[in-house]
Amino acid sequence: MEGASTSVAGGRPVFYAGRFVDRLQSIGLSRACTLLGDWDVLPAQLTVATQEATSLIVLDLFSFPFEALSGVQRDIPLILLLPSGLDEEFLTTVFGEAVFARLDFFDRIATPDRALWKSLRRRYWWAEQQRIELESCDPDEAAKAIGSLLEAESCRPLPHPDFDKATHRVQKAALAPQFAAARGAEQISFDVLEVGVGTGRWASSFDLARTAFFGLDSSEDMVASARANFPEGRFDRLQPGLLVPYDDESFDLVFCVTLMHHNPTPAKKTLLSEMWRVARPGGRLLFLEDFVFGKRSENSTVYPMSVLEFVGLLLEATNGQVSLEHVESLRYPHDDVTRGGIIAVSKLGVPQRW
Amino acid sequence: MSENDFYTPTDLDMLRMENELLTFEVRFLRSRLGWVGRGTGSSPSLNRLAQLEEAENDLVLLLRRMASSPLGPFLRLKGEFRALEERYLSPRAQEASARDRLTYLEQAENDLVLLLRRIGRGPLGRVFRLKRGFRNLEERYL
Repeated sequence: MEGASTSVAGGRPVFYAGRFVDRLQSIGLSRACTLLGDWDVLPAQLTVATQEATSLIVLDLFSFPFEALSGVQRDIPLILLLPSGLDEEFLTTVFGEAVFARLDFFDRIATPDRALWKSLRRRYWWAEQQRIELESCDPDEAAKAIGSLLEAESCRPLPHPDFDKATHRVQKAALAPQFAAARGAEQISFDVLEVGVGTGRWASSFDLARTAFFGLDSSEDMVASARANFPEGRFDRLQPGLLVPYDDESFDLVFCVTLMHHNPTPAKKTLLSEMWRVARPGGRLLFLEDFVFGKRSENSTVYPMSVLEFVGLLLEATNGQVSLEHVESLRYPHDDVTRGGIIAVSKLGVPQRW
Repeated sequence: MSENDFYTPTDLDMLRMENELLTFEVRFLRSRLGWVGRGTGSSPSLNRLAQLEEAENDLVLLLRRMASSPLGPFLRLKGEFRALEERYLSPRAQEASARDRLTYLEQAENDLVLLLRRIGRGPLGRVFRLKRGFRNLEERYL
């Protein structure tokens, strides 16, 4: 079922209203959108309806066929309206494994219930920015509020111009086994540092109740944003000269994701050296970088490097005191040129303190 | 690549960088699979593997034949023959083979060629050549 048909610069949201579709047809959404009812989500229709969708807003959680989302549909950012009057236990029993556990940093939850949001957030380690705060659970009101929000957001520059949900999914699939390998035995405390933490999107990959997650960034805005997203973590600014403000041998895992190409060679070397310094002997250093760089941003200069140049730099910065643990190349959806690569090394040496 | 930090790679550079990345990944996977030391070459074809395994089989049969012949005790006086027996007929041969199969097979082929040359050049070379089996081996490997 089509609502207004005018296309809108900056995005094409698809609203799934399910059983409430009749009510929503009358409200007149604030921007051009596609409106779907519960008869419009048979697999073939859903594929057509979501072909150019920039977000999929599910206002009726109970009737939406999440299992029917496949292929590129999984890469459309979701906004889920939590139904009113249901507690955390009920919602996680019904939607936990099938829906909530699969949400990514790019998906959002709309609810007026702060307590419910807090308890669900702590269970799935969502970022605070993933919440859309509403005044009412009523689908009409929620649709208006979400529509207005999306329209306002389409006028702002993208918060993450270098990556999207599809890129994040590929990176996450490759990084998750490496995070697990670095963690090892579950009962041991786990200290993690991300350099170039941005808004903290990788923090949610860890159980923050049992992980001490630290993040560093050179931008004060990013640090503030990461702090707001994950109050459980500790986020600081990189010191002048790209120095890491922590003691030697403080972390079991030190990692960065697509950070190095923002820095010229001497800065890369400093960062690698600092990351190695703060990793514990036997701990992991993990790098996910674009070693074939096809993306160009008008707003930033990039310093591309090949994998061999990176490995040479890593050996130089660490004096060769590392052992190669994992290498994996990545291809991103919708990008034929850029190739990512994961390099995981463990730090050699004897601890300075026991 | 240029040392200039503001250098933007051309398409050719991207191709080279992709080639380096994939080669590096293959080298890592090969080393993890135990194919140590063969990192820079391409992986051997199945035909080549079959050829190497045949050479290993021929070498083992030849060594067994030599060791069980009346000349066996005399051959064992030579350190090189004892080394070959140790390398290919002892239980340790299995372990070495399992540890790095490709290197082991290539060494076996090499040893077989050297052994055939040594036997063929010696005073009994003409006598051995009267046997069809030995002539076949010479034809196949020399």
